Amino acid sequence: MTLSTMLSTMGAGMLRTCGIFFLTLLFSLPLGMIVMLLRRSRFPVVQWIMKIYIAVMRGTPLMLQLLAWYFGPYYLFGWSIRGYRFTAIILGFSMNYAAYFAEIYRGGIEAIPAGQYEAAEVLGYTHAQTFFKIILPQVVKTILPSVTNEIITLVKDTSLAFTLAYNEMFSLAKQIAASQTSFTPFLIAGVFYFVANYVVAFAMERVEKAFDYYS
Amino acid sequence: MKKMLCLLLALVMALALCACGSSAQTGTTDEEALAEVQAAVDEVADDVAAALEGVTDDAAAIADSVRVDVTDDAAAGAAYVFLDEDLGTESYAIGFRLGDEELAETVSGAVMALVQNGTYAAIGENYPEIADYLCLTADDVDAAAIPEQGSGDPDYTFKHGFDLDYPPYSYLQDDGSVGGFDVELCQAVCEYLGWGYEAVPFNWDAKDMELNAGSCDCIWSGFTKEGREDAYTWGVTYSNNTQGILVAADSGIATLADLAGRSVGVQTATSAAEMLEDSQADLAATFAELRVYETYTIAFNDLKAGAIDAIAIDMTAGAFLIANEG
Repeated sequence: MTLSTMLSTMGAGMLRTCGIFFLTLLFSLPLGMIVMLLRRSRFPVVQWIMKIYIAVMRGTPLMLQLLAWYFGPYYLFGWSIRGYRFTAIILGFSMNYAAYFAEIYRGGIEAIPAGQYEAAEVLGYTHAQTFFKIILPQVVKTILPSVTNEIITLVKDTSLAFTLAYNEMFSLAKQIAASQTSFTPFLIAGVFYFVANYVVAFAMERVEKAFDYYS
Repeated sequence: MKKMLCLLLALVMALALCACGSSAQTGTTDEEALAEVQAAVDEVADDVAAALEGVTDDAAAIADSVRVDVTDDAAAGAAYVFLDEDLGTESYAIGFRLGDEELAETVSGAVMALVQNGTYAAIGENYPEIADYLCLTADDVDAAAIPEQGSGDPDYTFKHGFDLDYPPYSYLQDDGSVGGFDVELCQAVCEYLGWGYEAVPFNWDAKDMELNAGSCDCIWSGFTKEGREDAYTWGVTYSNNTQGILVAADSGIATLADLAGRSVGVQTATSAAEMLEDSQADLAATFAELRVYETYTIAFNDLKAGAIDAIAIDMTAGAFLIANEG
């Protein structure tokens, strides 16, 4: 197999890897916000449910969660799971990452001193205005480095989709390496992950600069 | 009140999980046991329904969802069959590093000695799935090539490299120990020669790196010789195998031609996968999709769930899956 066939075969996998990456971010970032708000709910029951959710999502391997999301509907309810594969992957990744993002958001919000709320109240801001205009911009600034960490982990975690026979880039690299008895596909995969993560880190650094309003 | 409801919901969820677990585990046991499980699940579901009554209108609906239909699995039974047509045959041999001729000869000779003294056949009897595929008989034995019993260096430890995910050749036993036909045969070889034995279970993707780095002395794990003749120094061919197509008995698929427009699963880096890319590429082109899995276990689950229509797999591994279904 020539290098160009290798690259074009793995290129198709890279598109699938990117698909998982972007869709997961698209769903998990807002979902994390919802989970965080429910986690900070006034009702202890809701808080309690969210605590269990976060404990399960963080406490079990993502690989097992993917298997549960995919095979669960069949074994629990006997539903057909034909054509459900990709949905299960995105569902599994999004629900898992939402739990991590929720805790990062919560850390950011709880770091805001009570004085900020009091000052906003004195100045006549409503609750919504206080949250969106005063609190949220400060939270975003605080949590950016942690969010970058998670996003970079997500890039590398996409290879877990092979558990459900979804042929993303790294599984193709393994298949080519096995059939060609060659190490080159792994090298290509390594370069791909590194470049992808470099782009993520670079973009996030620009975002951080944009929020760097104190200096 | 809300706390109460919450507790009940959690209970229902836990029960659903239990039901799922038991239906998965009891897939192959007799109907009586299944009926028992079904009765137990129904009973508990009734209790939950009674407890929830009046709390919420959804109670009955939630309780119903607990009643997982375990009898469905019983009806499906172990109803998986191989098609009469196969994809091709292959031979399993022991792969050594290129240039390790002497080691290859010694080990092959020792295997022959075990064929002669009946150990080879005796080990085969422990693995009924592969009994028909063991190709060595007393007629193959060349007495001149057999090393003397106990003639090996007693300080030498032979490092057996294998994939721990390839039943019935090499896999984790029920008691948690390492076993399988290849492992037992290799242990018998070491015992015959007087060598020490060391198991080196590795990741199949990294087999060449392990062998070349010297962390193992051979690859011996249902290792196909075809297509790799020049990449290793080969020891004796001790087993044959046939690649076939495994389908559900009621799928209506009877010939390879029936696979047109269907989804077929295969495990990555197996002979079946290679055949479908190479000698059987025309057949693979008729499939709706050829799905590559990390392990046959997941592929078989997908077949049971109806997400794919067939699995391309060798006869021995397939027979092992059917025999241990559930």
